[in-house]
Amino acid sequence: MNKYNVQSAAARWIDDHGECLYRYALVRVRRPEVAEDLVQEALLAAVRGYEKFGGRSSERSWLVGILKNKIVDHFRKLGRETSFTDMEFLSDEFSEKFVSVGFWNHDLGPHEWKPEPDEVMHRSEFWQVMRECFAKLPQKVRDVFTMREMDSVPSKEICTILSITDSNLWVMLHRARMALRECLEMNWFDTPAGGTV
Amino acid sequence: MPEEPYNPSPIGNPSVLARRNWWQTMLVKLIGKYTPKCREMVRILSQSMDEPMPLMMRMKKRLHFLICCWCQRYEEQLRYLHETAGQFPEHADEASDAIFPSETKQRIKQRLADQIR
Repeated sequence: MNKYNVQSAAARWIDDHGECLYRYALVRVRRPEVAEDLVQEALLAAVRGYEKFGGRSSERSWLVGILKNKIVDHFRKLGRETSFTDMEFLSDEFSEKFVSVGFWNHDLGPHEWKPEPDEVMHRSEFWQVMRECFAKLPQKVRDVFTMREMDSVPSKEICTILSITDSNLWVMLHRARMALRECLEMNWFDTPAGGTV
Repeated sequence: MPEEPYNPSPIGNPSVLARRNWWQTMLVKLIGKYTPKCREMVRILSQSMDEPMPLMMRMKKRLHFLICCWCQRYEEQLRYLHETAGQFPEHADEASDAIFPSETKQRIKQRLADQIR
Protein backbone atom coordinates (compact mmCIF):
# COMPACT_ATOMS: atom_id res chain seq x y z
CA MET A 1 0.00 0.00 0.00
CA ASN A 2 1.31 3.41 -0.84
CA LYS A 3 1.20 4.95 2.60
CA TYR A 4 1.49 8.53 1.43
CA ASN A 5 -1.37 8.22 -1.04
CA VAL A 6 -3.70 6.86 1.62
CA GLN A 7 -2.57 9.45 4.09
CA SER A 8 -3.34 12.39 1.85
CA ALA A 9 -6.61 10.85 0.65
CA ALA A 10 -7.83 10.07 4.17
CA ALA A 11 -7.07 13.58 5.36
CA ARG A 12 -9.22 14.94 2.56
CA TRP A 13 -12.17 12.59 3.06
CA ILE A 14 -13.36 14.25 6.23
CA ASP A 15 -13.18 17.72 4.71
CA ASP A 16 -14.75 16.80 1.37
CA HIS A 17 -17.32 14.20 2.37
CA GLY A 18 -17.56 14.37 6.17
CA GLU A 19 -20.79 16.40 6.27
CA CYS A 20 -22.46 14.18 3.69
CA LEU A 21 -21.51 10.97 5.51
CA TYR A 22 -22.47 12.35 8.90
CA ARG A 23 -25.81 13.76 7.79
CA TYR A 24 -26.74 10.57 6.01
CA ALA A 25 -25.86 8.48 9.05
CA LEU A 26 -27.87 10.88 11.20
CA VAL A 27 -30.94 10.54 8.97
CA ARG A 28 -30.68 6.78 9.39
CA VAL A 29 -29.84 6.35 13.07
CA ARG A 30 -31.02 9.70 14.46
CA ARG A 31 -28.54 9.72 17.37
CA PRO A 32 -25.53 12.01 16.81
CA GLU A 33 -23.08 9.90 18.82
CA VAL A 34 -24.05 6.75 16.91
CA ALA A 35 -23.78 8.61 13.59
CA GLU A 36 -20.29 9.84 14.51
CA ASP A 37 -19.17 6.31 15.38
CA LEU A 38 -20.53 4.94 12.13
CA VAL A 39 -18.71 7.57 10.08
CA GLN A 40 -15.48 6.75 11.90
CA GLU A 41 -15.93 3.01 11.38
CA ALA A 42 -16.68 3.56 7.70
CA LEU A 43 -13.58 5.71 7.18
CA LEU A 44 -11.34 3.25 9.02
CA ALA A 45 -12.69 0.51 6.76
CA ALA A 46 -12.03 2.76 3.77
CA VAL A 47 -8.40 3.15 4.81
CA ARG A 48 -8.06 -0.64 5.05
CA GLY A 49 -9.73 -1.17 1.70
CA TYR A 50 -8.16 1.75 -0.13
CA GLU A 51 -6.25 -0.52 -2.49
CA LYS A 52 -9.49 -1.99 -3.76
CA PHE A 53 -10.85 1.42 -4.67
CA GLY A 54 -9.78 1.68 -8.27
CA GLY A 55 -11.54 4.93 -9.01
CA ARG A 56 -14.33 3.08 -10.81
CA SER A 57 -16.89 5.16 -8.96
CA SER A 58 -16.56 8.60 -7.48
CA GLU A 59 -14.80 8.82 -4.14
CA ARG A 60 -18.02 9.95 -2.51
CA SER A 61 -20.15 7.03 -3.71
CA TRP A 62 -17.41 4.64 -2.68
CA LEU A 63 -17.33 6.08 0.85
CA VAL A 64 -21.12 6.30 1.06
CA GLY A 65 -21.27 2.64 -0.01
CA ILE A 66 -19.01 1.64 2.87
CA LEU A 67 -21.07 3.72 5.28
CA LYS A 68 -24.27 2.02 4.07
CA ASN A 69 -22.78 -1.37 4.97
CA LYS A 70 -21.86 -0.10 8.41
CA ILE A 71 -25.39 1.22 8.91
CA VAL A 72 -26.91 -2.12 7.91
CA ASP A 73 -24.51 -3.86 10.34
CA HIS A 74 -25.67 -1.46 13.01
CA PHE A 75 -29.31 -2.46 12.44
CA ARG A 76 -28.27 -6.10 12.36
CA LYS A 77 -26.73 -5.72 15.82
CA LEU A 78 -29.82 -3.94 17.14
CA GLY A 79 -31.79 -6.89 15.83
CA ARG A 80 -34.73 -7.87 17.92
CA GLU A 81 -34.37 -5.02 20.35
CA THR A 82 -36.60 -2.80 18.27
CA SER A 83 -40.29 -3.30 18.75
CA PHE A 84 -43.00 -2.85 16.25
CA THR A 85 -45.43 -0.15 17.27
CA ASP A 86 -46.68 1.40 14.08
CA MET A 87 -49.83 -0.60 13.47
CA GLU A 88 -51.96 2.52 13.38
CA PHE A 89 -50.00 3.89 10.46
CA LEU A 90 -50.14 0.53 8.73
CA SER A 91 -53.87 0.18 9.09
CA ASP A 92 -54.44 3.48 7.32
CA GLU A 93 -55.44 2.50 3.80
CA PHE A 94 -55.48 6.08 2.55
CA SER A 95 -59.14 5.22 2.19
CA GLU A 96 -60.24 8.73 1.25
CA LYS A 97 -58.17 8.39 -1.94
CA PHE A 98 -60.39 5.64 -3.29
CA VAL A 99 -64.12 5.43 -3.86
CA SER A 100 -65.89 2.47 -2.29
CA VAL A 101 -65.61 0.21 -5.33
CA GLY A 102 -61.83 0.61 -5.22
CA PHE A 103 -61.08 3.04 -8.05
CA TRP A 104 -59.21 6.28 -7.50
CA ASN A 105 -61.32 9.21 -6.49
CA HIS A 106 -60.48 11.24 -9.60
CA ASP A 107 -60.08 14.47 -7.69
CA LEU A 108 -57.63 12.95 -5.24
CA GLY A 109 -55.61 10.67 -7.52
CA PRO A 110 -51.94 11.30 -8.27
CA HIS A 111 -51.32 14.60 -10.01
CA GLU A 112 -49.18 14.83 -13.05
CA TRP A 113 -45.59 15.54 -12.01
CA LYS A 114 -43.16 17.26 -14.23
CA PRO A 115 -40.01 15.91 -12.70
CA GLU A 116 -36.81 16.96 -14.27
CA PRO A 117 -34.53 14.45 -12.57
CA ASP A 118 -31.27 15.96 -13.76
CA GLU A 119 -32.27 19.38 -12.58
CA VAL A 120 -33.67 18.13 -9.29
CA MET A 121 -30.41 16.40 -8.44
CA HIS A 122 -28.76 19.78 -8.23
CA ARG A 123 -31.38 21.44 -6.08
CA SER A 124 -30.80 21.36 -2.36
CA GLU A 125 -34.43 22.25 -1.62
CA PHE A 126 -35.57 18.98 -3.13
CA TRP A 127 -33.34 16.93 -0.84
CA GLN A 128 -34.53 18.92 2.16
CA VAL A 129 -38.16 18.22 1.28
CA MET A 130 -37.33 14.56 0.83
CA ARG A 131 -35.64 14.37 4.21
CA GLU A 132 -38.63 16.03 5.87
CA CYS A 133 -40.92 13.53 4.17
CA PHE A 134 -38.82 10.63 5.47
CA ALA A 135 -38.94 12.12 8.93
CA LYS A 136 -42.73 11.96 8.94
CA LEU A 137 -42.75 8.19 8.52
CA PRO A 138 -42.99 6.05 11.65
CA GLN A 139 -39.55 4.83 12.65
CA LYS A 140 -39.80 1.19 11.68
CA VAL A 141 -41.47 1.95 8.36
CA ARG A 142 -38.72 4.44 7.62
CA ASP A 143 -36.05 1.89 8.53
CA VAL A 144 -37.59 -0.63 6.16
CA PHE A 145 -37.95 1.84 3.30
CA THR A 146 -34.50 3.40 3.62
CA MET A 147 -32.84 0.02 3.93
CA ARG A 148 -34.59 -1.15 0.78
CA GLU A 149 -34.37 1.95 -1.40
CA MET A 150 -31.24 3.69 -0.16
CA ASP A 151 -29.03 0.87 0.99
CA SER A 152 -30.39 -1.56 -1.64
CA VAL A 153 -30.60 -4.43 0.83
CA PRO A 154 -32.50 -7.41 -0.67
CA SER A 155 -35.99 -7.74 0.80
CA LYS A 156 -35.37 -11.19 2.28
CA GLU A 157 -32.40 -9.87 4.19
CA ILE A 158 -34.39 -6.93 5.55
CA CYS A 159 -36.92 -9.38 6.96
CA THR A 160 -34.13 -11.20 8.77
CA ILE A 161 -32.40 -8.07 10.05
CA LEU A 162 -35.57 -6.45 11.37
CA SER A 163 -37.33 -9.70 12.33
CA ILE A 164 -40.45 -9.08 10.30
CA THR A 165 -42.47 -11.32 8.01
CA ASP A 166 -42.58 -11.06 4.23
CA SER A 167 -46.11 -9.78 4.21
CA ASN A 168 -45.32 -7.21 6.87
CA LEU A 169 -42.44 -5.99 4.73
CA TRP A 170 -44.63 -5.58 1.64
CA VAL A 171 -47.24 -3.70 3.62
CA MET A 172 -44.68 -1.38 5.16
CA LEU A 173 -42.96 -0.66 1.85
CA HIS A 174 -46.30 0.00 0.20
CA ARG A 175 -47.43 2.39 2.93
CA ALA A 176 -44.07 4.13 2.95
CA ARG A 177 -44.18 4.66 -0.81
CA MET A 178 -47.75 5.87 -0.70
CA ALA A 179 -47.00 8.34 2.08
CA LEU A 180 -43.75 9.58 0.50
CA ARG A 181 -45.36 10.00 -2.89
CA GLU A 182 -48.11 12.03 -1.31
CA CYS A 183 -45.68 14.10 0.73
CA LEU A 184 -43.42 14.89 -2.23
CA GLU A 185 -46.43 15.85 -4.32
CA MET A 186 -47.78 18.21 -1.68
CA ASN A 187 -44.50 19.73 -0.62
CA TRP A 188 -42.56 19.81 -3.84
CA PHE A 189 -44.35 19.08 -7.10
CA ASP A 190 -47.45 21.12 -6.30
CA THR A 191 -45.40 24.08 -5.09
CA PRO A 192 -43.73 26.83 -7.12
CA ALA A 193 -40.33 25.40 -6.13
CA GLY A 194 -41.21 22.11 -7.76
CA GLY A 195 -42.01 23.88 -10.96
CA THR A 196 -45.49 22.65 -11.88
CA VAL A 197 -47.40 25.62 -10.54
CA MET B 1 -66.29 9.43 2.06
CA PRO B 2 -65.90 5.85 0.75
CA GLU B 3 -69.69 5.82 0.20
CA GLU B 4 -69.31 8.37 -2.57
CA PRO B 5 -70.29 6.67 -5.84
CA TYR B 6 -67.67 6.06 -8.52
CA ASN B 7 -67.62 9.01 -10.88
CA PRO B 8 -67.47 7.61 -14.39
CA SER B 9 -67.62 10.98 -16.13
CA PRO B 10 -65.01 11.44 -18.88
CA ILE B 11 -64.77 15.13 -18.00
CA GLY B 12 -61.36 15.82 -16.54
CA ASN B 13 -60.27 12.22 -17.08
CA PRO B 14 -57.21 12.17 -19.33
CA SER B 15 -57.04 8.36 -19.55
CA VAL B 16 -56.81 6.82 -23.03
CA LEU B 17 -60.26 5.28 -22.63
CA ALA B 18 -62.75 7.33 -20.66
CA ARG B 19 -66.37 6.63 -21.64
CA ARG B 20 -66.39 9.31 -24.28
CA ASN B 21 -68.74 7.22 -26.44
CA TRP B 22 -70.59 3.90 -26.36
CA TRP B 23 -67.58 1.82 -27.44
CA GLN B 24 -65.30 3.34 -24.90
CA THR B 25 -67.88 2.83 -22.17
CA MET B 26 -68.12 -0.88 -23.04
CA LEU B 27 -64.33 -1.24 -23.07
CA VAL B 28 -63.89 0.64 -19.82
CA LYS B 29 -66.47 -1.59 -18.11
CA LEU B 30 -64.87 -4.74 -19.50
CA ILE B 31 -61.33 -3.75 -18.49
CA GLY B 32 -62.56 -2.50 -15.13
CA LYS B 33 -64.17 -5.87 -14.51
CA TYR B 34 -61.20 -8.05 -15.44
CA THR B 35 -58.27 -6.08 -14.05
CA PRO B 36 -57.52 -5.30 -10.38
CA LYS B 37 -59.18 -2.26 -8.85
CA CYS B 38 -56.89 0.72 -8.26
CA ARG B 39 -56.67 0.15 -4.51
CA GLU B 40 -55.27 -3.32 -5.25
CA MET B 41 -53.25 -2.15 -8.27
CA VAL B 42 -51.19 0.33 -6.23
CA ARG B 43 -50.28 -2.50 -3.84
CA ILE B 44 -49.23 -4.70 -6.77
CA LEU B 45 -47.25 -1.85 -8.31
CA SER B 46 -45.36 -1.34 -5.08
CA GLN B 47 -44.50 -5.02 -4.84
CA SER B 48 -43.30 -5.02 -8.44
CA MET B 49 -40.59 -2.56 -7.40
CA ASP B 50 -39.01 -5.41 -5.46
CA GLU B 51 -39.84 -8.52 -7.40
CA PRO B 52 -40.79 -9.13 -11.04
CA MET B 53 -44.46 -9.03 -11.93
CA PRO B 54 -45.86 -12.23 -13.49
CA LEU B 55 -46.55 -11.96 -17.23
CA MET B 56 -50.33 -12.22 -16.84
CA MET B 57 -50.33 -9.39 -14.32
CA ARG B 58 -48.13 -7.27 -16.57
CA MET B 59 -50.74 -7.61 -19.30
CA LYS B 60 -53.55 -6.74 -16.91
CA LYS B 61 -51.58 -3.74 -15.77
CA ARG B 62 -51.20 -2.50 -19.36
CA LEU B 63 -54.93 -2.86 -19.92
CA HIS B 64 -55.72 -1.19 -16.64
CA PHE B 65 -53.52 1.78 -17.53
CA LEU B 66 -55.68 2.34 -20.64
CA ILE B 67 -58.62 3.19 -18.40
CA CYS B 68 -56.65 4.69 -15.52
CA CYS B 69 -54.04 7.37 -15.99
CA TRP B 70 -53.80 7.70 -12.20
CA CYS B 71 -52.38 4.23 -11.69
CA GLN B 72 -50.02 4.85 -14.59
CA ARG B 73 -48.84 8.06 -12.95
CA TYR B 74 -48.55 6.21 -9.67
CA GLU B 75 -46.19 3.70 -11.22
CA GLU B 76 -44.07 6.39 -12.88
CA GLN B 77 -43.87 8.22 -9.57
CA LEU B 78 -42.83 5.10 -7.68
CA ARG B 79 -39.97 4.68 -10.14
CA TYR B 80 -39.07 8.30 -9.68
CA LEU B 81 -39.14 7.85 -5.92
CA HIS B 82 -36.89 4.81 -6.28
CA GLU B 83 -34.39 6.73 -8.43
CA THR B 84 -34.24 9.77 -6.20
CA ALA B 85 -34.21 7.85 -2.90
CA GLY B 86 -31.23 5.93 -4.28
CA GLN B 87 -29.46 9.23 -4.92
CA PHE B 88 -30.32 10.67 -1.53
CA PRO B 89 -27.32 9.37 0.46
CA GLU B 90 -24.82 11.14 -1.77
CA HIS B 91 -26.78 14.36 -1.45
CA ALA B 92 -27.35 14.08 2.30
CA ASP B 93 -25.13 17.12 2.94
CA GLU B 94 -27.65 19.25 1.03
CA ALA B 95 -30.63 17.79 2.88
CA SER B 96 -29.97 19.17 6.34
CA ASP B 97 -27.96 21.66 8.34
CA ALA B 98 -26.87 19.21 11.03
CA ILE B 99 -23.38 20.15 12.18
CA PHE B 100 -20.67 17.53 12.22
CA PRO B 101 -18.75 18.76 15.30
CA SER B 102 -15.25 19.89 14.37
CA GLU B 103 -13.69 18.20 17.40
CA THR B 104 -15.15 14.90 16.19
CA LYS B 105 -13.72 15.55 12.76
CA GLN B 106 -10.29 16.14 14.29
CA ARG B 107 -10.59 13.01 16.40
CA ILE B 108 -11.46 10.89 13.36
CA LYS B 109 -8.65 12.41 11.31
CA GLN B 110 -6.27 11.47 14.10
CA ARG B 111 -7.64 7.91 14.24
CA LEU B 112 -7.20 7.57 10.48
CA ALA B 113 -3.64 8.85 10.67
CA ASP B 114 -2.87 6.40 13.51
CA GLN B 115 -4.31 3.55 11.50
CA ILE B 116 -2.14 4.32 8.49
CA ARG B 117 1.05 4.75 10.48
